[in-house]
Amino acid sequence: MTDPVPVASAFRRSLPAWAGLFALGCALLLAGLVRLPPIDGDPATVRRLHAAILWHSLLPRAATALLAGAALGLAGALLQRVLRNPIADPSTLGIASGAQLALTLALAFAPGLLAVSREGVAFAGGVAAVALVLAMSWRRGLDPITVVIAGMTLSLMAAAASSALILARGEYVLSVFIWGAGSLHQQSWHAAQALAVQLALGAAAAAALLRPLAVLSLDDAGAHGLGVRLHAIRAIVIGVAVGLAASVIAQVGIIGFVGLAAPALARASGARTQGQILLAAPLIGSLLVWLADGLIQVAGGDLVPTGAAIGLLGGPLLLWMLPKLKPTTPVLAAAAPIQRLHAPWRTLAFLLAGGVFVGAVVLLVGRDLDGWAIAGSPLLADLLPFRLPRIVAAASAGALLGAAGGLMQRLTGNPLAGPEVLGVGAGAGVGLAAVLLLADAPGTATLMAGSAAGALAALLAILLIGLWTGFGADRLLMAGIALGCMGLAVLSAVFAAGGWTTFRLLVWMSGSTDKVGPPEAVAMALAALVLLAPLPLLARWIDILPLGSAVSRGVGLPLTAARLALCVLAALMTAVATFFVGPLSLVGLLGPHLARLLGFAGGTVFLAAAALIGANVLILADWLGRTLAFPYQIPVGLFAALVGGPYLIWLLQRGPAHRG
Amino acid sequence: MTRLTRRGLLAAAALGLGVRGAGSEAPRFATLDWALLETLLAMGVTPVAAAELVLFRAVAVEPPVPPRVVDIGLRGTPSFEALRLARPSLIFSSNYYAEMEPKLRRIAPVETISVYARGDPPFARAEDAARRLGTATGREGAARDLIAATHAGIERARDDLKRVEDRPLIVVNLGDARHFRVFGPDSMFGEVLARLGRTNAWRARTFYSASAPIGIEALARFPEAWIVVLPPVPPDARRLLPESAMWAAFPSVQAGRVLQLGAMNPFGGLPTAQRFARLLSAALLDPAGARFD
Repeated sequence: MTDPVPVASAFRRSLPAWAGLFALGCALLLAGLVRLPPIDGDPATVRRLHAAILWHSLLPRAATALLAGAALGLAGALLQRVLRNPIADPSTLGIASGAQLALTLALAFAPGLLAVSREGVAFAGGVAAVALVLAMSWRRGLDPITVVIAGMTLSLMAAAASSALILARGEYVLSVFIWGAGSLHQQSWHAAQALAVQLALGAAAAAALLRPLAVLSLDDAGAHGLGVRLHAIRAIVIGVAVGLAASVIAQVGIIGFVGLAAPALARASGARTQGQILLAAPLIGSLLVWLADGLIQVAGGDLVPTGAAIGLLGGPLLLWMLPKLKPTTPVLAAAAPIQRLHAPWRTLAFLLAGGVFVGAVVLLVGRDLDGWAIAGSPLLADLLPFRLPRIVAAASAGALLGAAGGLMQRLTGNPLAGPEVLGVGAGAGVGLAAVLLLADAPGTATLMAGSAAGALAALLAILLIGLWTGFGADRLLMAGIALGCMGLAVLSAVFAAGGWTTFRLLVWMSGSTDKVGPPEAVAMALAALVLLAPLPLLARWIDILPLGSAVSRGVGLPLTAARLALCVLAALMTAVATFFVGPLSLVGLLGPHLARLLGFAGGTVFLAAAALIGANVLILADWLGRTLAFPYQIPVGLFAALVGGPYLIWLLQRGPAHRG
Repeated sequence: MTRLTRRGLLAAAALGLGVRGAGSEAPRFATLDWALLETLLAMGVTPVAAAELVLFRAVAVEPPVPPRVVDIGLRGTPSFEALRLARPSLIFSSNYYAEMEPKLRRIAPVETISVYARGDPPFARAEDAARRLGTATGREGAARDLIAATHAGIERARDDLKRVEDRPLIVVNLGDARHFRVFGPDSMFGEVLARLGRTNAWRARTFYSASAPIGIEALARFPEAWIVVLPPVPPDARRLLPESAMWAAFPSVQAGRVLQLGAMNPFGGLPTAQRFARLLSAALLDPAGARFD
């Protein structure tokens, strides 16, 4: 607005590029029309079938791609505006995952509901997800990166819950994966019509909200002064955006990151005012989805679902946007305990004793074929080789994740930074998927190697990005989120292929300790000890780093080296835990928060408490998963999410304001 | 302390001996794999424990599983404790559960028999699995009978089908109203089709099971074929397909050549092969009774 000349020139410069892309899209569509599939039969039938494919499959597919892209572009632009967050979109806010979980739930327990309204179910899930994400990040003033981390955490939790549901009621697996991977195949104009109606409604709402939206760009006080009912308008705009995204998910499934890319590209091509962005983003979104889908059709059709392919672009896009994000100031209060403990070591000893007690109880109490039973000596000796490794694995993984979460929170000064934010878990998942696709029925050692390689690759990528950006906290978080996004997109493409690979990955995704035998348990316990042991030595760094880079440099801390060391340590902890028990993101958040709530402040005791609490939580969750539905096991990840999730949100809500 | 432990160990050993060591006891078999489970049951061998019986009864349907078989939970995450408490003397596993073998071996000896392996047609492997299960359970005769009965069942279905016009068939699984998965010539159903003397319209390999989801418009390439739909049919596919113009344009649909069969396990053994042959021939002989709509 302030510099009309460069804007106009940027627009003029980018125009030929967009025109070229549009021409490419038309060419791809024409190529699809020309290369209709060969059909055997009499010429009249062939002609009729080709006409049917053209009118009821290819053209509605193109229309659906255009409309879905526009809906997502508009949803992204609205969300970014109302949250004042340049990286908000239906994927990063967890809306897509929430909608998909709702659809999966409905399919498993109330299939009739889907016949009534898929949009309604998806909308309810999307609204619930965005409400949770905003609740989790409310205390941080909806800081962009915090919001996205909350969205990422929620997405992982939803993925674990979906996996558990699919495993437990595996009837409509195929449908679920088609949603997850976002496929644009069409057999009628039904989806295009539904999307067109939604888009028209959304566009009308956006036009009506244009003026209040402009007011939203002022700060809250100014907007209040103008008499705008701020919260009502925000809620309406978010509702419109979720409605747009939910209808896309209900019709064609998850198409990742279009809502992120479209407004960003609109801004990059010179759109400056509210109206320009709201107009350009849907157009660019249309073009993106249409082009991607056209390329996939020309490349051979069914190899990779369109949504998953576009999702792969999300990671690089986030990285590209990284330097454009305004860095948020590190927050001191995030690390401050509610009330400092007088004798932290005594409380720590109490936690340890509690852990031992809980471990002993869950070792003895279980279910047998007739009901609940306390295992006596002969039976216990019998069951020990199965129970003990699980308990050891749960304890080790919980401790590692708790400590890694604590490290990440101190390292980044962000209360929502969990270990999964490093992207190491997603890397491990991709490595696992690669081994499962390449090898026929691999054993534990091969799988472990694949998973370790994936985690290592992710770690290296993070370190490279870290070195490049000087290990700034926000940069590190964004890089991890970008890697995580790419990992999840790869996994959803693999899921869509179906078969045994899918099944095994689901088991991993849902989080379970029961693959662990005595040798693995010993290895895990040793790894936990080795990785946790250096923490007391790093206590000084851990205490100083949250105070910000200026203070850290001031007291002579080797800033980059310290961040590098802590980052590697947290990543190794996460990698070890993730391989054995899956991406249990929540434990890494719960441990440090409970530790802070109990009043642990100093670096060493804080991390020790976070580790002990993580171990306790996971031992309990594992025991519940093992016994409640015996002999059917409920994944630990689901329990951790169901029990820990609401608690975490409550915790984040009632804590002291982290700002100001 | 030492004595207590020793006493505990002795008690456990005695308990183990009481069940396993006594020669008079019948051998106790357990299995994680559904293909092996149905083969065992069809041979008249009732295992003491098997996995995910709730879904097995709904998906594989036959042979019926006697209620006394202990359910050890999900195939992906079986309860080793439940399996241990069922006290099997031999566990049949397959390559899908390779990862769990070290833990299974702590419970009982494990014999790995895989019906599905990459690049190998499953029917011959299913026969081989029946033979190996026969040897391991001491029921070689029952295994021979099962193989013979399967061949006879397929032969009978083939004879019955001689009365039906020979058209290619495409066996699919609907994902939603827009996608299907197809069973190629290298799947169990594809092999049975070949043995029935029928043509599988889908000629590409699908890696011994179904393929990744394919757009429903691909069915237009097979105007002459019977479309054979295997359950489960998602509710929205059932609702949307009758309204779909693309679906209505398929000559197979217009001519009423779309059949729905009863549920069956796509990764089954010989009993599944027999069931597929029987249900398919019955459906083709009386299409009105099995019409998909």
